[in-house]
Amino acid sequence: MKNYNLKLKIFRFCIVIFTFAFCILNLSEANAQQVSLAISPPLIQTVIKPGKAILIAYSLENSGDPTILTARVVSFEPKDNFGNIRLKDRAEGPVRFSLDNAELSLDQPFFLKTKASEQLLLRIRVPEGAPEGDYYYSLLAETTPAIGREGIGSAQAKATIAANILVTISHSGTIEIKPKIVLFQLLSKMKWKIFDSLTEVPLVLVLENQGKNLIRPEGKITLRGLLGTSADYEIVPKNILAESQRLVQATPSAEFSKQPISLALSGFFLGPYKLSANINFGENSPNIFASTSFFAFPFKLVAGIILVTIITVFIIKRFSADED
Amino acid sequence: MKNYNLKLKIFRFCIVIFTFAFCILNLGGVAAVSMDSSSFRIESASINDAAGNKTSDNYKLSDTLGQLAAGEFSSTGYIIKAGFQYLHSIIPFRFSISDISINFGTLMPNTPATGTTELTVYFGAAGEYQVTATELGKLRTLNEANNIPDTNCNGGADTCTDSQAKVWTSSTAYGFGYGMTGNDIPSDFINSTYYRYFADKNLSEAPQIVMSSPNVGKNRQATMTMKANISNVQAAGSYQTVINFVATPSY
Repeated sequence: MKNYNLKLKIFRFCIVIFTFAFCILNLSEANAQQVSLAISPPLIQTVIKPGKAILIAYSLENSGDPTILTARVVSFEPKDNFGNIRLKDRAEGPVRFSLDNAELSLDQPFFLKTKASEQLLLRIRVPEGAPEGDYYYSLLAETTPAIGREGIGSAQAKATIAANILVTISHSGTIEIKPKIVLFQLLSKMKWKIFDSLTEVPLVLVLENQGKNLIRPEGKITLRGLLGTSADYEIVPKNILAESQRLVQATPSAEFSKQPISLALSGFFLGPYKLSANINFGENSPNIFASTSFFAFPFKLVAGIILVTIITVFIIKRFSADED
Repeated sequence: MKNYNLKLKIFRFCIVIFTFAFCILNLGGVAAVSMDSSSFRIESASINDAAGNKTSDNYKLSDTLGQLAAGEFSSTGYIIKAGFQYLHSIIPFRFSISDISINFGTLMPNTPATGTTELTVYFGAAGEYQVTATELGKLRTLNEANNIPDTNCNGGADTCTDSQAKVWTSSTAYGFGYGMTGNDIPSDFINSTYYRYFADKNLSEAPQIVMSSPNVGKNRQATMTMKANISNVQAAGSYQTVINFVATPSY
């Protein structure tokens, strides 16, 4: 009997432990209604002839609470030269979009339960006679906001996730490449491009695409020092949309500083340096070139040494005077 | 001695139970291989998530966009470049909102009410994303007879706009607005006392960016605090609005 009671106690104890562990480990999964959407692929780029159509399979996944979604396509344009975009209210241009799914269509709501995914078969059709040029779109999947509770103030959140579609319509497949370097400049607080040897040297490179089709820069920025030392920084290839500008970044670039820059040179620099950018846009494309220079001197280090020397001399003299 | 052994057994048993519970409840946490570079991040060495069909007049291609297959597909009449610089786009772009119903409770005059929600963006691709926010009309009663105006923050030198946050601490400064804290937020949200009002879609105001980054981002999180403060003359009622958050990857 005593043994039985002990087992019962152990059993109860385990139940408590289980419950406790479950609560501790799962409390973050919350009571609030949440939205969590994923879309793939986030970017499609296509060059297409008038009269042709393509089919793209998008995967839309819901990791949040069950929700009602609506898929639609709108046009977008670049908002600034940092890669941000401005969505328009509807799809403009000659490109036609539809869903090939049997039970889904654009602008019609559909239900997606938790941890479920839906494949959206997006047909992109370019009619015969469509004018050549670039057309930029976003496929949006947007939730239907809930209705707020009576008697309290509330804001309901509507979530929209987007995937971008870059369409180039071309009869011949020929792309217009008209690039220009509009800014290749060191950000210096002083009028002259003089930097302290120990501080970062920030560089900004902005390219302009003057053509009717998007382009993607490749190439490198080269740093050359006094004694022939040099270092290369590869340009990160990113699309520059037609008739727009974009800040181009170069590696090492995993974490840029707060200000938007292309490259932050760090290390110990001494003397004159020359920076050059050599950029191309794929095979048989023109190379474009720009250069700038700067001078580095260890102002802070020298100031520190002078200060320490002065203090040391002062202290030595003071002690010598005291001994005398 | 017998008692000691029994306690030891109980202790061992509990350890086993704990370990078992921990494993069961946390197995979902995952084991993808991460490969990093300074300009991109590949989250898994083997991804077979983005199978799709590409067709033209001449052929139909069904592929799995995994392993080494992401890239350029072509046929007579078209070329498709699926991918962020061909190599990252098979990683999904994910956006989460922790709470889609932000409640202020019963609004009391001169007593600011706040509600928070957390925005999370997961983007293993080439980076560069933006999240914009816009209100679909003012915070107003269901019959649309009354509304709580957008905040001007403290006013005077601290007058905010939909794109410039300013300090909003005064209990006699009325309106509706939001503040941001966390990753990738606009620099004008200096601390948690800084607020803006929402751009209003009904007034054709441009949506404003509340999160953005040029860098590779994994679980970038920011907290939005919405705040409403009403005066004594504010009409009674249930004030509601809808805030549209749009998460967009770059191009």
